[in-house]
Amino acid sequence: MPSSKRLPTCALTSEVHIACESNRWKEIEERLRKESPNEACVFAFTRQSRGSSRTTSILRECFWPVDGDVQASPHWLEISADYISRVMDAAVDAGESTGIALIHTHPDTEYGIGRGVFSGRDDWYEARLFPTITLARPKAISASIVLGSASKDIDARVWWNDGSGVRTQPANLLRLVGPEITFIETPHSDWRDHPDPSMMDRSTRLWGAEGRRILQNLRVGIVGVGGTGSIVLFSLATMGVGRICAWDIDTMKKENLHRTLGATKDTIGSNNVEAIAPTIRAIATATPFDLMPFDSSGTSTAGLIKLKDCDLAFCCVDRFAPRVPLNDFAYAHLVPVIDMASWIDASEKTVDAIMTHAHVWSPGIPCAWCRQTITSRRLTREAQGDQRDIERRAPYGLPLEQTDGVEPSVLPLNVAGVGLALLEFMQVALKVTKRTPRDLKLFLPEWELDESDLDSQFECDTEDATGLGDTARIRPVS
Amino acid sequence: MAAPEEIETAVAALSESSGLEFRVTDVPVIGTNLYVVYARNHPLPEKYTVSSATLGFRVPGNFPDAGPEDSFFLQPDDIRLKEDDPVTHTRNLNRASSNQDFVRGTELEGAALVFSWHLWEKRPWSRSKNTLIDHYAHCVRRFDQPEHD
Repeated sequence: MPSSKRLPTCALTSEVHIACESNRWKEIEERLRKESPNEACVFAFTRQSRGSSRTTSILRECFWPVDGDVQASPHWLEISADYISRVMDAAVDAGESTGIALIHTHPDTEYGIGRGVFSGRDDWYEARLFPTITLARPKAISASIVLGSASKDIDARVWWNDGSGVRTQPANLLRLVGPEITFIETPHSDWRDHPDPSMMDRSTRLWGAEGRRILQNLRVGIVGVGGTGSIVLFSLATMGVGRICAWDIDTMKKENLHRTLGATKDTIGSNNVEAIAPTIRAIATATPFDLMPFDSSGTSTAGLIKLKDCDLAFCCVDRFAPRVPLNDFAYAHLVPVIDMASWIDASEKTVDAIMTHAHVWSPGIPCAWCRQTITSRRLTREAQGDQRDIERRAPYGLPLEQTDGVEPSVLPLNVAGVGLALLEFMQVALKVTKRTPRDLKLFLPEWELDESDLDSQFECDTEDATGLGDTARIRPVS
Repeated sequence: MAAPEEIETAVAALSESSGLEFRVTDVPVIGTNLYVVYARNHPLPEKYTVSSATLGFRVPGNFPDAGPEDSFFLQPDDIRLKEDDPVTHTRNLNRASSNQDFVRGTELEGAALVFSWHLWEKRPWSRSKNTLIDHYAHCVRRFDQPEHD
């Protein structure tokens, strides 16, 4: 029986998640379950991802026990002091914000099914282990996880030292992140189903009651609410997503009305998100529905902190520079980002070339640098602003052709791009097909839909920082 | 206003490495997000009409994610060769031209002699490996090349 009343429970943030790359979790689960009918355990390093209302403890490298480190039976585990010391030494070497997670199993026994809840013995043992592990490491968040014999029967909690002693808080959810996200609710989950599921009948026929529950409780970030972001916002609210954070620093202008859903002449002069927020709240099908509009940049320092409260995000910005922190963020914090962009080359009513793309940035899928969506050359060229390509002309005495950098943008192309991105969203969040595509691009005038075949590059900085959370250095862009 | 901290730090490292006093402008060039990194009294090759000048290059505000421009400049903009180049038969510096806008709105305001010098096209800038020291070394290699090359 759980006996957490005996533990020094405290609230670090209102919500706590444990997150892990899906491949890493698969290995942990398989190796631990192999030890059945005995209990089994492993220590893993953790990195934290501290948002404004949610703390996520991210599981990283595992330190598997060697002979003599663990004695186990179907009912108990004994972990040697030497194993604990080795892991603690390694954590110190890894940095002051590196915590330690203890993951162990409750297999089936002669008394019944192994349940994924902390036992009284677990509480007793961990209440003695974690004061040692967290001692003098105030910047680290540690964790413990217990796996029942069923795959999604899991309980978890985080441990930290606030300076006056060890503290613990139950985790609400385990997030396994790869090309798709798997959500595992713990006994402390505050997720709720829609109060009137029949309202979602036609969608539920595709993704089931479980998918409907995910959408109702998912928190999605939308960075940029202009030509594409406004369509994403309308679509997610209509689909039944329950919690949305949306950022846009720009003000609605008359030139935006022809491609921004929900904007009216009366909203000219308002912030882009604030302008359409009342309509979004009116059309939302989730109950409850929580829309948090921000009239600031989602890639500013404050924006990136708030984004850590999200489970998934859409990148709907129109520049390359903010894509850099969003791409890095997706991998470091295990929050998949779906990037979309459109590009039109036109002359005198004729479309010479059109491209719209939707690209998932998430572990297991090559990042934006690897896919060459972002290149240093493109970033430098963008920074040149009015003087784009001057270095190719000025040295030869050629005149500098001024440009304000504004390209065509039309609703049909934006809708097509958002359509691709929303299909990817259904896959990442709800797994409606067998795999997540890498990078979908729709090309005109060929009318072709292509999937890129570029792989991850050797020594990719972004992918090397996967799961590093707040340890990864991400440069904000305002 | 001041240049982004990442640029300031990289400029300090460049100064230490080169022994020259490099600075960065407080503001970007008008119409761009490019800050100018420069050293006054930078020594020049013997073959030029002046022995020293201001040498600089432009660095994006989101450095090091974005690398420096593939070029550099000298001020004043009327620097030439002391003698005709034997191949081009001119005293003009090869692949260099005066531009009024290159440092517009910064403390260096005025015409700059802009050099084309493509390195980062052949070997793409790496945000984690390359520094302004690499970029500077690449710029000054221009002075070791035959003028007409």
